[in-house]
Amino acid sequence: MEINTCSGAISLSRELENESAKFYQELSKRFEKDQELFLAFAKENEKYIKQIERAYYGVITDALEGCFAFDLNPEDYQFKNALPKDISYPDAVAEALNMEETMLRFCQTAAEQSKHLMADVPRSFTMVAKKRSERLSKLKSLLER
Amino acid sequence: MAILEEPIKGVKEVKNFINGEWVDSKGKIVDVVNPATGKVMGKCPISTKEEIHAAVEAAKEAFPDWRRTTPLARSRCLFRLKELLEENFEEVSRIQTMEHGKCIDESRGETRRGIENVEVACGIPTLMQGYYSEDIASGIDEWVIPTPMGVFGIIGPFNFPFMIPLWSAPYAVATGNTIVIKPSSEVPFSQMKLVELAEEAGFPPGVWNVVNGGRTVVDGMLEHKDIVGITFVGSTPTGKDVIYKRCGETGKRVIAQCGAKNFIVIMPDCNVPATIAAMMTSFFGNAGQRCLSGANLLVVGDDDKFYKNFLDQVCDMTSKIKVGYGLDEAIQMGPVRDKDKKANILRYIESGIKEGAKLILDGRKLKIVGDYPDTCFLNPTIFENVSPNMKIGSEEIFGPVMSVMRAKNLDQAIEICNANPFGNGDAIFTQSGRDARYFQYNVESGNVGINIGVVAPVAFFPFSGMKDSFYGVLHTQGKEAVRFFTESKVVIQRWF
Repeated sequence: MEINTCSGAISLSRELENESAKFYQELSKRFEKDQELFLAFAKENEKYIKQIERAYYGVITDALEGCFAFDLNPEDYQFKNALPKDISYPDAVAEALNMEETMLRFCQTAAEQSKHLMADVPRSFTMVAKKRSERLSKLKSLLER
Repeated sequence: MAILEEPIKGVKEVKNFINGEWVDSKGKIVDVVNPATGKVMGKCPISTKEEIHAAVEAAKEAFPDWRRTTPLARSRCLFRLKELLEENFEEVSRIQTMEHGKCIDESRGETRRGIENVEVACGIPTLMQGYYSEDIASGIDEWVIPTPMGVFGIIGPFNFPFMIPLWSAPYAVATGNTIVIKPSSEVPFSQMKLVELAEEAGFPPGVWNVVNGGRTVVDGMLEHKDIVGITFVGSTPTGKDVIYKRCGETGKRVIAQCGAKNFIVIMPDCNVPATIAAMMTSFFGNAGQRCLSGANLLVVGDDDKFYKNFLDQVCDMTSKIKVGYGLDEAIQMGPVRDKDKKANILRYIESGIKEGAKLILDGRKLKIVGDYPDTCFLNPTIFENVSPNMKIGSEEIFGPVMSVMRAKNLDQAIEICNANPFGNGDAIFTQSGRDARYFQYNVESGNVGINIGVVAPVAFFPFSGMKDSFYGVLHTQGKEAVRFFTESKVVIQRWF
């Protein structure tokens, strides 16, 4: 079912960030050489959840269009979060890149859909999207080493 | 998507809170029913006259000490209350959804707006400062001291059970008064939670009292000589003929915020997609049960193509609104509060059909998400070809019904708005600054929206209203509330 409410969008965001954090925790166990970086990503995800929730709880008002601010299909933002047992490092990083691209698309779409309707919430999604772009560059650089 | 956990399990008993104690009532007990699930979630007393008198007595006794408490110390209680409300934000919000039916985004929005009033009242040390003139005559000075007055009564409605008492309560206690709140007996739980937190925040016994009930409690407040003023939010017949009239007779201050029939004026140059999203919240948010809901959609101009295209899009989006239990995060509109209110809305729909309006979306055909009894549910309804003199075009329906009208030009639109006896929250959607200003200047409405569908003033602005929508002088919220809850004591001083 598509998500139209702000509450639903925030829950989806939390769910995706948590799944992504689990993926990086797993990655950090498999590939110890970049453990620090992957754990830092996982930790950042928690921060993103807090930032978006803080924005939502700070500006939510029955007077604006909280129940009509989004049109998101959760199926458009699914990604693999389980790593095959014997996956190689480049393939694992490629999976991370796929996931980040999905997350980036989610944040950009959520920001765009709610930009006139939800005050600080779209700004928070945009900020997280920017961080995700930076993360994509970092992941790409891992493949170029 | 998740269905959020209910914070109230089983059947909860409501008590009165008088002089810092939870007290059982001797009055009749009524069931409080969750309108979405149909389950009894609580028992609420209809308190007696003796019980309201006991609460007023406690508030009167607490007043002198509370008045002497410094504004800074009083504001610290409010700061603590604000902190506790943040900690309990989610529970308070879910309680509102359970008792009232509104969906979770709306409940959280209500909680936030309620807290904002506490935040504004935290500034009371500066908000209630007086002013001073030196040498009003040679060697004579004069100043004004805003002085607390005593015990105030606060009468809350069913549609915003948590927030509306907070338009008054924080300002009343911050300025040094004591209060007795009467929540609606249909939705008493969020006020129970609020007073529980107020006690924890450190308000002394007798400062913040709650007495549950109905007309007997209201009459008790109106008659009581020690109640110096009343704030009321509810229907126009009660606000005008009971509250305002009797407060006048007994010399009490009064704020009576009443009913509405709000017009949303659509100009052909509006931003259509953004306007349509705003229409959904305005007309169908809170299932249409708010005094700032859009009621009449007034499309301006003779461009039939624009009209048809706009209305088709409104109908399309409206028909997709997900109706169900508000704790389901996917839901965009909850039930109305109870079966009597639903029956009243159904009567209006039938009258619209009889009077010749065209029913283009029939909310009586229910489509509910989830397995819930249909007792209190309605889907959104849209009527076309409504005239301002039809019942559905002129009276407050207080439900999810949109009545669509047309006007030749903006002047005629304003004329139609102003001919209605209410004047609560009218809005215009346009990209023309000239038209927006012309509308704002000429429309007789207390709250005016420009590209805003629900014209709800934030806590540091007064919640206004005109004509049959408001009786009184000063309004709730912000600086006007501080003035309402204080008397100006003027001192003129000369030393020989």
